[in-house]
Amino acid sequence: MTFSMKRMYAIFLKDLKDLSKNMFITSSMLMPLLIAVLYSRMDELSIDMIYLVINLSFSTIGVFVQSAIIAEEKEKNTLRGLMLSPATILEIFGGKSLVTFLLTLLTIILSARLIDYEPSSISLIAIALIISSVFYIGLGTLMGLLTKSVVEASVITLPIIFLFGFSTLLQTLINTYPILSFIEYLPNVQLAELAKEVQLGAGIEDIWGYLAIILVWGIGIWLLTTWFYKKKETAG
Amino acid sequence: MAGLLVIHSLEKRTKDSIIFPIFNLTIEKGDITAVYSTLNIRKVLLEIISGKTLASKGEIRINGVTIMENRNLFLSGVVLAFYEDGIYDRLKVRDYFSFYRAIYDSNQTIDQLLRITQLQDKQNQKIKTLTYSEKQRVRFGKQLLQHAELYIFEEPDLNVDVETRQVFISITRRLQHEGKGVLILTGNLESALTIADQVLRIDESGLQQIPTEKGESDSILDDPMLEAEVQPFQLNKIPTKVNDKIVLFDPPEIDYIESNDGQSHIYSNGNLFTSASTLNELESRLEHFGFFRCHRSYIVNLQKVREVITWTRNSYSLILNNKEKTSIPLSKSKMAQLKDMLGMK
Repeated sequence: MTFSMKRMYAIFLKDLKDLSKNMFITSSMLMPLLIAVLYSRMDELSIDMIYLVINLSFSTIGVFVQSAIIAEEKEKNTLRGLMLSPATILEIFGGKSLVTFLLTLLTIILSARLIDYEPSSISLIAIALIISSVFYIGLGTLMGLLTKSVVEASVITLPIIFLFGFSTLLQTLINTYPILSFIEYLPNVQLAELAKEVQLGAGIEDIWGYLAIILVWGIGIWLLTTWFYKKKETAG
Repeated sequence: MAGLLVIHSLEKRTKDSIIFPIFNLTIEKGDITAVYSTLNIRKVLLEIISGKTLASKGEIRINGVTIMENRNLFLSGVVLAFYEDGIYDRLKVRDYFSFYRAIYDSNQTIDQLLRITQLQDKQNQKIKTLTYSEKQRVRFGKQLLQHAELYIFEEPDLNVDVETRQVFISITRRLQHEGKGVLILTGNLESALTIADQVLRIDESGLQQIPTEKGESDSILDDPMLEAEVQPFQLNKIPTKVNDKIVLFDPPEIDYIESNDGQSHIYSNGNLFTSASTLNELESRLEHFGFFRCHRSYIVNLQKVREVITWTRNSYSLILNNKEKTSIPLSKSKMAQLKDMLGMK
């Protein structure tokens, strides 16, 4: 089977239409925007605060929305049809991820506007954001495959939203509890550190280490997702 | 081996019980075959076909390969139309069709599809606002967009309205005309007999043909039990009518017969069939098969009676040994006769 742009686009279009009529999922976009509105009232926002909003957008949209659209396919028994169809895993998840990717980007741009975030280098931050979204959407796909219904997906993604949304705040605890030092290597923390460097005028040569760590997370999660999907496809 | 679908000595056991014993089945181009079975057998069979479960013995080939040998080639040769298959119910009918048209790269036009499924005036409605029967027609539309030589339908016309059933029947004729094979898996004998040219039954004792006047029986293969069944008993069969077909029953298959408005209703395995013969005629034909006229409007197969219940001194019932534990009235005068026959005083 060959990769067909037409099929991927059909899945993209279908999910976009379907999502636009699904209030339960689209309303989750409001959470990061709401926090952005609250923060916009404050005078001096640290990079940590700004990235709290951005990471929250990643985990609510990238993870939750992606997992919900996949879990819904399972709940309504439509994923089986797609698995039996000529559509390949790349086309199915490519189409779906594209929808989530656009929504995530839209939310991040809107919330960045709301809190007046202006990175010193837009292009470097854009690269970092895109690489991050690969990880979050992959995580959302995996969560969608692990759960059976939208409700289950929303429950299971809550701790993930907490971990990746707020763990920048937990960093202060590392000195007291050294066991938490793994937090430094989480992609969201790496992203915030990267943004701090960029704000201080760093170039691509200074931040590639951060990018590489985020990319490793992204590749790792997609490998896991693909393995899991293949296992399900040939279950039994 | 030729044949769109070749099932070769397939058997499934779980733990101690046999789900179905070894059977063979081939579907050729232009066949419309129905397999009548219980829900459990049907589910297991579909799971084996779609590769979710393994058979205990035997194999299923589509396009000449088993699902293990070449999953893509196998699946490209068959449309699996599951009962209550998932549906994107927030989409409009038209959008739904164009989505699957792109997925399956079909060249069927949407308008043609809407005409076949008689959904033209619903095309801009969201699927969730449609009735159950209309949703079923949406599924038929999706299935027609999948191009394959073989269509396997699971309970295609369960609980649907007359219009939808007509749509389905014309779809099966259209597929037959295009030289495709159709296999219907159902638990409804009446529906199987109405739609298919050839009706088979699978149960714990194997695959048997349910004789219909219409259609040939070419495509059932060498099942020794089957041959033994079809041949010698012709004269003793009881004819019944289902729509325009005549279905023949072996006396032991009949549970009981009920007279209703001058017609005789023959019950077999929980299903009802009508016969043109009167109860008296049937009684004389069936007497020596162990049938008993237990009531003015009932003949019962005594082999199937489990219990005689006495409600009052003048009211009795016979309880049958079937799943529904059907009860049949037994009149007082006949009670004495029955006691005589059973050697009770």
